[in-house]
Amino acid sequence: MAGVLITSCKKDKPEEPNDNEVITTMKLTFVPVGGGTTLTYLFDDPDGPGGAAPTQQEIVLATTKTYNVTVQLLDKTKTPVADVTLEVQSEPTAHRFYYEPTAPSNIAVSGLDNDTNGVPLGITSTWATGAVATGKLKVTLRHYPGTPPNKAIGDLVSSSKSSTDIEVEFNTKIQ
Amino acid sequence: MKLFITILFTFFIAATAISQSCTISFSGHVEDADTKEKLTGAVVTLKETGMQIITDEKGDFIFTKLCSGEYTLLVSHTSCDSIIKKISFAKNFHLDIFMPHARKVMGDVVIETKIGVANTGFKKELSGKDLEETKGLSLAEALSKINGVTMLQTGSTISKPVIHGLHSSRILIINNGVRQEGQQWGNEHAPEIDPFIAGKLIVIKGVDELKYGSDAIAGVILVEPKPLRNIPGYAAEFNTAYFTNNRQYVVSGVWEHQFKNIPAFRYRIQGTFKKGANASTPNYRLNNTGSEEKNFSITLGWKKEKFNTELFYSYFAVKVGIFNGSHIGNLTDLQNAIAAEKPDDVFLGERTYKIRRPYQDVSHQLLKLKSTILKGEHKFNVLLGGQFNHRKEYDVVRSSSNTRPQLDLSIYTLSEDINWEHPKRNNFNGVAGISMMQQDNTYGGRYFIPNYFAYSFGGYVIEKWSKHKWELQAGIRYDNKTINTTRLRFNGSLVNYDFNFSTVASSFNSIYKATDLWKFNLNISLASRAPYVNELLSDGIHHGTATYEKGDITLKPEKSINISGGVNFQNKQKTFQLDLLLYVNSINDFIYQQPKPSTPVLTIAGAFPLIEYQQTNALLSGFDLSASVKAHSNVEWQSKISVLNARNTSLKDWLILMPANRLSNEITYSFKNGKGISDSYLAVEVLNVMQQKNIPDESNGKQDYKAPPGAYNLINFNAASAISFGKTKITIGIGIRNVLNTVYRDYLNSMRYFIDEMGRNISVRVKIPFNHVYQ
Repeated sequence: MAGVLITSCKKDKPEEPNDNEVITTMKLTFVPVGGGTTLTYLFDDPDGPGGAAPTQQEIVLATTKTYNVTVQLLDKTKTPVADVTLEVQSEPTAHRFYYEPTAPSNIAVSGLDNDTNGVPLGITSTWATGAVATGKLKVTLRHYPGTPPNKAIGDLVSSSKSSTDIEVEFNTKIQ
Repeated sequence: MKLFITILFTFFIAATAISQSCTISFSGHVEDADTKEKLTGAVVTLKETGMQIITDEKGDFIFTKLCSGEYTLLVSHTSCDSIIKKISFAKNFHLDIFMPHARKVMGDVVIETKIGVANTGFKKELSGKDLEETKGLSLAEALSKINGVTMLQTGSTISKPVIHGLHSSRILIINNGVRQEGQQWGNEHAPEIDPFIAGKLIVIKGVDELKYGSDAIAGVILVEPKPLRNIPGYAAEFNTAYFTNNRQYVVSGVWEHQFKNIPAFRYRIQGTFKKGANASTPNYRLNNTGSEEKNFSITLGWKKEKFNTELFYSYFAVKVGIFNGSHIGNLTDLQNAIAAEKPDDVFLGERTYKIRRPYQDVSHQLLKLKSTILKGEHKFNVLLGGQFNHRKEYDVVRSSSNTRPQLDLSIYTLSEDINWEHPKRNNFNGVAGISMMQQDNTYGGRYFIPNYFAYSFGGYVIEKWSKHKWELQAGIRYDNKTINTTRLRFNGSLVNYDFNFSTVASSFNSIYKATDLWKFNLNISLASRAPYVNELLSDGIHHGTATYEKGDITLKPEKSINISGGVNFQNKQKTFQLDLLLYVNSINDFIYQQPKPSTPVLTIAGAFPLIEYQQTNALLSGFDLSASVKAHSNVEWQSKISVLNARNTSLKDWLILMPANRLSNEITYSFKNGKGISDSYLAVEVLNVMQQKNIPDESNGKQDYKAPPGAYNLINFNAASAISFGKTKITIGIGIRNVLNTVYRDYLNSMRYFIDEMGRNISVRVKIPFNHVYQ
């Protein structure tokens, strides 16, 4: 206790705050099947929640094409920038991405990668586009806090077993 | 009149009455001369008759069927020096006895008795039997037995006291004389105090608040340990309790000692261990609602005739689980969770003591040195306090290999208080003092409040005047507080804000004791509270409520004018008692959280509703009424009503999150003392809590996620008995909370959106005291 009291008298410099649960950025990388330019689209909030408003890009894709899509999560408040996707990957049975296009976006998402139990994880997925359209697509990352997580194939995005880590709705355009 | 000091330490069970045809009754009231507290458990003996009575919880005693004549009166109490007094009477007689507060060492002659007006002020106290019934419960749960005090809860494990609708930084909690400085601003930050330290819990309003601060807008809670031992010898007390609902067990022990050869030195060691498993509602068990508490304290005292010093150290550590079905990622989650009738099965049904994320891990250390110097009739007190509070909150995290807390707050506080009590002159006595405080707060992990240094200094003067049936008190206090805050952003930039606040408080109290039966009390208090750092600078997502909370650096201190009126009546036979407290608290620039439904904050986890700290004018008014009737020598009925109206007068609207009106009725049956069995009683309480219908208007946007839960009625049961084994008197108590296993939710519990309150909880408690006096 005496030691405690002595340290309290010292003038100390503020320490670097370290919020280890921040995600500032979601990056979607689109690799066209059969060749073509790789596309990336971002939801970006580099100062974290609050402060400056986030920027959100419109996802623009070509008609009737298939893309192999990879999602990456970043924490830009860290130096160097932290790749949060690795944390999700290391506990695949407690996480799940959902991709929900709203008609008439003319996008179909399938082929999500699975966790170790064969239940969809969704770090990679396959997007197929149709005719020219504008619409919306919501990307949600759900986290299962239970022990064990009890994640199952049939779980809806609104499952009461899981809670939301990320929920971003992109505007989409097929042209 | 010849005066002595006598020591009486054996607690007899019943007195052998002498049956004569005499009809005089001799009644009295025993108070602590210094603190003016009613002394329960004082042993009053009429030596010539051998009659002995222990004062009740109001400090009263009565001897009946006495003959006229001269008697020797002996009064003793563990906290006080004993007194002997010769009295004589020929008709019914009443005497008020003021016990000196163990000021001098044994052998000195100390007596101070006078007949006059007792100072009760606005003071409500939990002690004796009522306090015993709360053994094993949290501080707030214990305090909520006091009429007018309710609880603000987060599930079943976190609770904090609410006085007349106000809580957190509007209540000062004084732990053993030191103002508790933790992270009391948060709704889910419970007071870091072991209730087993307390010999009594007192809620005060009025002039005496000024000793502790100018910001006690709601009142002051005193957690008062028993004074150190005053008779050479040693004593121990062992308390244990078990609660069936969450399989919680509590073990608490205290040991105190005064040496025969150095009676000036006394010490006490006290410790508590408490552990609870997951709690159960009537229909389902809630995962991760366990808790574990480890506390201990050491008191060392040195007392000479002119000098008295006490060193106190306490350590409090608690780890509490938070129901994980309420973990909310964003607004959609919250709405889904609220819509669900019950949480998902993955969050229910586990019978374990294990605590997982989310949980809180909080420790609080207090070191205090209090010295009293007597110079003639003047008394000087010097109080030095050091506190270290460390709060770590562990959220649900993405990666289970993450062992770090997400919120990590450390607060160091040093405080210095010096006061001077002048002797009574011309019916005046008073106290003047200065106090200073230095505080350093640092945070790690998620930002909620910034790092800061705070310095404050203040001074006060209180004078009391009493004569005949009147007692007048008045006081004034000034405080100045400087806060220098620093927040380091992730990109290395610093955000600094400095604040300075001056606050003034004053109070006037008058008591008029019209007759022995009627007493009137009027109090006017002005208090002023500087905004806290969270109100100025919080900026972030509050996960429990899925809101984005934002402070305002332009907030001014809030100022309150509190007018209270009290009436106290008891009939001559002491079979009927009535206590009424009316209050109006008008608060200018009342700081509160205003939802801003039209401007949500967009984050990567979705849009969060914005809640901003704002100021308005508020008017809180209401009354507490309690009455008790002794219908029969064994049967007592007690009724308590507490009513509150809380208005946002600027918006002509109601204030959110105010306790609902409530009514409690309790019938106690006391058994006659038998051979080796004493103090036995059975009590049944029916508690009716109304639905809170006075809530903010939602026509201009959502103010709350769900309408307040409905009214509920609970039946509680208590029984206790003391069994003597030789000199040891063991008390055994049984309590049942929510006897009928009623399903209900409470408006002041933040978990009301998701889960029901705890179901039936049966508890058994045992108290084993032991006492030895050196011959």
